[in-house]
Amino acid sequence: MTIDVHLSAVGVDLLAAGRFQDALAPLRLAVSLGDTAPATLLNLAIAEDRAGDRDRGRRLMRQVAVRLPDWDEPMLRLAESLRAAGETMAAEEAYGQVLDLNPSRPEALIALGGLLLMRGQGEEARTLLIRCCGVAPDNAEAWNTLGLTLRATKAPSPALTAFVKAQTLRPGCLDYVLNGVEITLDAGESDAELARLTVACGQDPLNPAIQLGRGMLLERLGRRPEAIDVLEAAAALTPDMVVPLRLLGGVLARSSQVARAQQVLRRVSELDPDNPQVRNDHATVLIRLHRHAEGRTILLDVLDRHGPDIAILCNLANATACLGLQEEAVAIARRAIGLDPRAVLPRRALCNTLPYRDATTGAELLAAMRDCSAVLPRVAQPPLGNNPDPDRPLIVGLLSGTLRSHPVGWLTVAGVETLDPDQFSLICLTQNAAPEDPIARRYRAAARGWIEVDGLNDAALTAVARDRHIDILIDLGGYGDAARMPACANRLAPVQIKWVGMQAHSSGVAEMDWFLTDRWETPDGFEPLYSERLLRLPDGYVCYSPPPHAPDVVALPALTSGFVTFGCFNNLAKITPRVIETWAAILRRIPDARLILKTHQLSDGPTADRFLAAFASLGIAGDRIEPRGSSGHRAFMGQYGDVDIVLDPFPYSGGLTTCEALWMGVPTITLPGEIFASRHSASHMSNAGLPDWVAGSVEDYMDMAVARAGDLAALADLRARLRDQVRRSPLCDAPRFGRGLGAALRRAWQAWCVETSPPMPGHVQSRNVWK
Amino acid sequence: MDTIHVTADADALRGRATQLIDAGRFEAARPLLAAARVLAPPSPELTLVGARLALGSGAWEQAMRELDDGIAAEPAHAGLRKCRADLRQRIGDREGSARDAAEAVIFDPADPQAKAILGLALLDLGRTADAVACLAEAVAGAPTDFDYRQALSSALEKTGDRDTALLVLTDGIDLCPASVAMRNAAILLCVRRRDFTQAVRLAEIARSLGIADACTFGLKGHALSSLGRHDEAAVAYQDALKLGPEDDYVRHLVVSSSAMPDSRRAPEGYVRTVFDGYADRFETHLISLGYRIPGAIRTMLQAHPKIAAGLPVGPVLDLGCGTGLVALAIGDLPLGPFTGVDLSPRMLTHARVKRLYTELREADIIADLAEHPQRWPLIVAADVLCYFGTLEEILAIVHQRLEPGGWFVFSVEAMLPDHDGIIPGNGNWALHRQGRYVHAEHYVYEAACAAGFRVTRVDRPIVRQEAGADVPGLLFAVERIRDDD
Repeated sequence: MTIDVHLSAVGVDLLAAGRFQDALAPLRLAVSLGDTAPATLLNLAIAEDRAGDRDRGRRLMRQVAVRLPDWDEPMLRLAESLRAAGETMAAEEAYGQVLDLNPSRPEALIALGGLLLMRGQGEEARTLLIRCCGVAPDNAEAWNTLGLTLRATKAPSPALTAFVKAQTLRPGCLDYVLNGVEITLDAGESDAELARLTVACGQDPLNPAIQLGRGMLLERLGRRPEAIDVLEAAAALTPDMVVPLRLLGGVLARSSQVARAQQVLRRVSELDPDNPQVRNDHATVLIRLHRHAEGRTILLDVLDRHGPDIAILCNLANATACLGLQEEAVAIARRAIGLDPRAVLPRRALCNTLPYRDATTGAELLAAMRDCSAVLPRVAQPPLGNNPDPDRPLIVGLLSGTLRSHPVGWLTVAGVETLDPDQFSLICLTQNAAPEDPIARRYRAAARGWIEVDGLNDAALTAVARDRHIDILIDLGGYGDAARMPACANRLAPVQIKWVGMQAHSSGVAEMDWFLTDRWETPDGFEPLYSERLLRLPDGYVCYSPPPHAPDVVALPALTSGFVTFGCFNNLAKITPRVIETWAAILRRIPDARLILKTHQLSDGPTADRFLAAFASLGIAGDRIEPRGSSGHRAFMGQYGDVDIVLDPFPYSGGLTTCEALWMGVPTITLPGEIFASRHSASHMSNAGLPDWVAGSVEDYMDMAVARAGDLAALADLRARLRDQVRRSPLCDAPRFGRGLGAALRRAWQAWCVETSPPMPGHVQSRNVWK
Repeated sequence: MDTIHVTADADALRGRATQLIDAGRFEAARPLLAAARVLAPPSPELTLVGARLALGSGAWEQAMRELDDGIAAEPAHAGLRKCRADLRQRIGDREGSARDAAEAVIFDPADPQAKAILGLALLDLGRTADAVACLAEAVAGAPTDFDYRQALSSALEKTGDRDTALLVLTDGIDLCPASVAMRNAAILLCVRRRDFTQAVRLAEIARSLGIADACTFGLKGHALSSLGRHDEAAVAYQDALKLGPEDDYVRHLVVSSSAMPDSRRAPEGYVRTVFDGYADRFETHLISLGYRIPGAIRTMLQAHPKIAAGLPVGPVLDLGCGTGLVALAIGDLPLGPFTGVDLSPRMLTHARVKRLYTELREADIIADLAEHPQRWPLIVAADVLCYFGTLEEILAIVHQRLEPGGWFVFSVEAMLPDHDGIIPGNGNWALHRQGRYVHAEHYVYEAACAAGFRVTRVDRPIVRQEAGADVPGLLFAVERIRDDD
C-alpha cells in the first residue's frame, strides 16, 4: 500500500468514528501526495465541511459531482451540508438532484420529506416518505418521518401505525415511542396502544424507551400515579440518563409532588448543566417549594450564560417579588414585555408583581390587567346553548390549579360544600391535582364532576367546559401558578365569575362578567376600578375553614415575657420598604417591643440578613427582629403563641394568614388601600366582628399599634375569647355563607337570563338584579 | 435521539424494587424486578421479592408457586418461610401458616416479625395463650411496631384481659407518641369497652398534640355522642369530615347537625354501617328502648279487609326487613310468603336464622324495587322511611310495585315543633341530630295521595323511647287506588 492510500484509509476510519477534525490532516496529506480518487476527494470534502473549511468542502463535493455525474453521493453530501447550515431551499434543490440521479436513495427521500414537512408541504412530504418506505422497508427513520408527515396531514391512525413500525425496527429509540404516544389519543387507539406497550414492556424488561412511552401515555390518559410508577422504574433502569429523569420530574411536578420533582430535576441539572430549559425547570420547582432565593440564583445564572429569554425573565420576576424586591420584580416583568409586547406571559408577570409594589393604584393595576387581557388569544366560539331559565338547577364549574391545601382551598371549600345541592351541581376543572390532600378530597366529595385539565390546551378546555353545559364558571386561579383564567377569554360558560385565587384586583378580562366581593373589599364607589360587575356577598367574600389540627390558643405571651411581640407571618413579597419603615417607627415608639417575621423565604440566611439590615438602617437592633423560616402548618399556627399582635403588610394585605392568626387568638392591625388585595384583612377583621382594628392611614396604623400594645388586659381578654367569636362569626359560618353564595350565584344567573331573553312586547323590565 | 442504555446492576434494581414494594408501589417495582431477573441468575432474594410482589398484587396463586419453589430450593430461608406463612394466613391455611412461621422462628430466633406471624397464626387457631406469649415476644423485640402491639392487644382482649390490652396500646403511645394508629387503636378499644370518658380523654390528648386523623375525630364524636354531649360531638364529626370527606357515615352525622345542607335521604353507606355495626345487639337494644312498631303494624293489619275476613292476603315484601322483627310479629296472620330486602348483610344474617323469609336480598330498597318488577298485595316498611327526607320517590315506586288495591304499611317519626314553637326543616321533613328524618303528618298524607294512594288508616304509636322520653311516630296504611302506569 502506498503512503497516500494508507493515509486515505486512516482518514476514512476517523471519519467513520465521527472524528472529523482528526480526519482532516491525513486526508489533506493523502490528496496532496496525489490520491485524487473521487472517494478520497469526497471524504476530504466531508471532513472539511464538518470540521475545516466548509466552502472548500462544498467546492470539492461539486468537483467530484462534475467528474462523476452519475454518482449521487457527492450531491447527497452537498445537500446535507446545506441542510446542516440551515440553507433549506438550496438543500431541497440539491436533494432533488440526488433523487433525479437515484430516485430510491433513502437518505434523500427522508431528508427532503423532512424539509418539505417543515415548510408545511405535508402532502408532498408524505408522497416521498411512502416511496422511501417502499424502497427501504427496514429503515426505521423512514417510517418515523412518514409518521410525522401523516400526523401533519391529520391522519393520526396511519401515523401511529408508522411510528409503531419504526419502533419495531429500532425498539430502543425513545423519539419513535414518544411520537407514537403523542398521536395515540388523536388516533383514538389509546387502550390498544397502552396494551401493546404493556406487553412490550413485559417482553423486553431492559428497554426503558418502551417503559417511558407507557408512562407518558398513562399521563396523557390522566392516570398519573401509574405514570409515575412506570417512569420511576424507567429512571431506575437508566440512572444517569437525562431524558427519563426529565420526563419523571415533569410528571411529578404536574402531580403536585413538588419536593420529589425537585430532587429529580436537580439531578437532571447536574447531568445536563448547559441546558437552560432544564435549569429553568429546576428553578420553577424550587420557586414552587418557596425556595425563591435558590431559584432566583439559578435563573440569574441562566440569563447570564444564555442571554435574555421571556420564560426565564418571567420566572425571575416572580421569584424576585417573593423575596421582597418589588420594584426590581416589576422592572424585570417590564423588560420581558419589551422583548415581545404581544406575548401573554410577561403581561401576566407584570399583573402578578404590580400589586405588591408600594403605591400601585387601582387604575394602574386595572390598566395592566386590561393590557394582559388584550393579548390573550381568542378563537371565535359558537353561541352557548344554556337554557336561560332563571330558576332551574345550575351547573357551576370551578376552574383552578389550587383546589387543595392552599389559600384558595382554605377560603372557599366550606362555602362550596354548603351550596344547596338541589340548586347547584359542581364540576371541578382542576390542574395539579393532589389526590391525597384533605381539602382536594373535600372538593372532590362535594363535586359531581372532577376533570383534570392539565393536558388540555385552552381550546380543548373550552370544549370540555361547553360540553358539560356549565352555566356559571368560577375562576379560582387568575394568572397564578397552573392558572387557566386565560381560557375564560374564549368564554367557557354564559356567566363567568372571578373569585379567590390571585384575586389581587379586577381580572381585566373582558369576558369575566362578575367579581365576587363584599362591602368591605369594594365599598360603594369602587366600581370604576373593576372591569367586572361587582357581586357583593352579604358578609365576607370568603369562608374560612379552620384546620382540625390547629393547636389550642395559649395565653397572651406579653403577660409572661413582659414585652409586646408583634408578628407578621406573610409572604415577603408583601413586605415593602415602606412597611419596614412603618414597623420600625412603631418599634422606636415602644422600645422594648419585638417583631417576629415568619415565612418560607426567611429560611434563606442571606435573605433574612437583608431584612435585618433594613431594620438596622432604621435604628432597630437585630435582637428585636426575629426572622423565622419554614415549618409545617401546625407548627406555623402554633407560633402565633409567641405573638401578641399581628401587623398587616400593605398595600398587599394578609388573606388566609389573617384568618389563621384570628383562629389562633391574635388580631391583626390592617391598613386597607385601593386595590382589592389591600383590603383582605379589613374584610376578615370586620367579618369577625373586629372592625376597630382597621386603620385609616399610616399614622392611624402606628397609633393603633402603640395603643393596642399598651392595653394588655384588653388584649388578653380578646385573645381568650377570640377563637369562639371567630367560630361563631360569619367568617366561619359555612351554612350561612353557602346560602349567601348560592343567592349571589342565582342573581348572576338571573341577570344573564334577563339579558339573554328578548323582552316580551310591552314588558317592563323592573328587576335590577345585580344590585 | 440515540438509543438509551440501561444499568447492569441487578442488586441495585432488586433493592429499589424492595423499597417500592415496602411502600406499596407494586407497579413501580414490577419492571425493576423483571429487569433484575434478566440481569441476574435466580436467587432466594429474587424469589422473595417476586413472591412479595405477587402477594401485594393479589396474585396469590403465583406467589404460592414462587414460594413453594423457593423453599424447595432453600428450605432454611427464614424470609421465604415468613412470606409463605403470611400468604397461608391470608388464604385461611392456619395450620400451614403456623408451621411456616414456627420454622422461620427456628431459623431466625431473633426476628420479631416471625414471632408476630406465628402469634397471629396461633390466635387464628384458637391457641390464645400461646399467641399472647408469642406476640409478647414480638413486641419485646420490636417495641415500637404498631402492628405487633395491635395484635397483642387483640389477643389479650380475647383472653378477657382488657386492662392489659389497653396497657399494651398506651405503653405503645408512650414509646411512639407520633403514632396516630396506636392512639386510634387505644381509643377504639375504650369505645368497645364502653369507657367513653376515657375514649374522649385519649382523643382529646391526640387532638391537642396534633396527632389525630379522621378516625380519631370520628371516634371522639362517637364517644361524646354516647355521653350525651351532642354539640361537642357535632364539632368532632365536622373535623372528622374535613379529614375524611368521603365518609358517608360521618357526612350524614354532620348534615344532621345542620352544618351542611340537608340531603334528601340518608346515604346507603351510612345505613349499612349503622346497621352492620348494630346487628348483633339490634333486637335487644330495640326491645330495651321500647320499640313498638312491629306490634303496631300487626294491629293495623288486623283491620285489612281480607285478614278481617280470614282470607289469605298473599306475598309480602318487607322493605328494610333488618333482623326480621316485623315478620316475627305478623307471621301468624294469613300472609306470605315473605321476601325481605335490607342493605345490611349482618342484619340479613340474623333474619335468615329466623327462617321466616323465602327470599332475602341485600340491596338498597329503591334500587331493589326498580330492579324487580314483581307486584305485591302488601308491602311493609317499618322504621325505614326515617332514612328518607323526601318521600315522593319511594311512594311512587312502591305504587308501581303494588297490585291494584294493594296496601303499603309504613312508619315514620312524627315532626313536632321545637321548644320555641318553630317547625324544623322545610315544614315537610327535617333531619335530626341522630341522623334520622322526621316527617309532618300533612306532608306524608299529601305525598301519599299525590302518588296515587288512598290513606286508609293513620295510627300514632310511640316508636320507642329516647333518653327516657317517648318518640312519637306515625303509622300509615295506604291503598293503591290509581293505575296509571
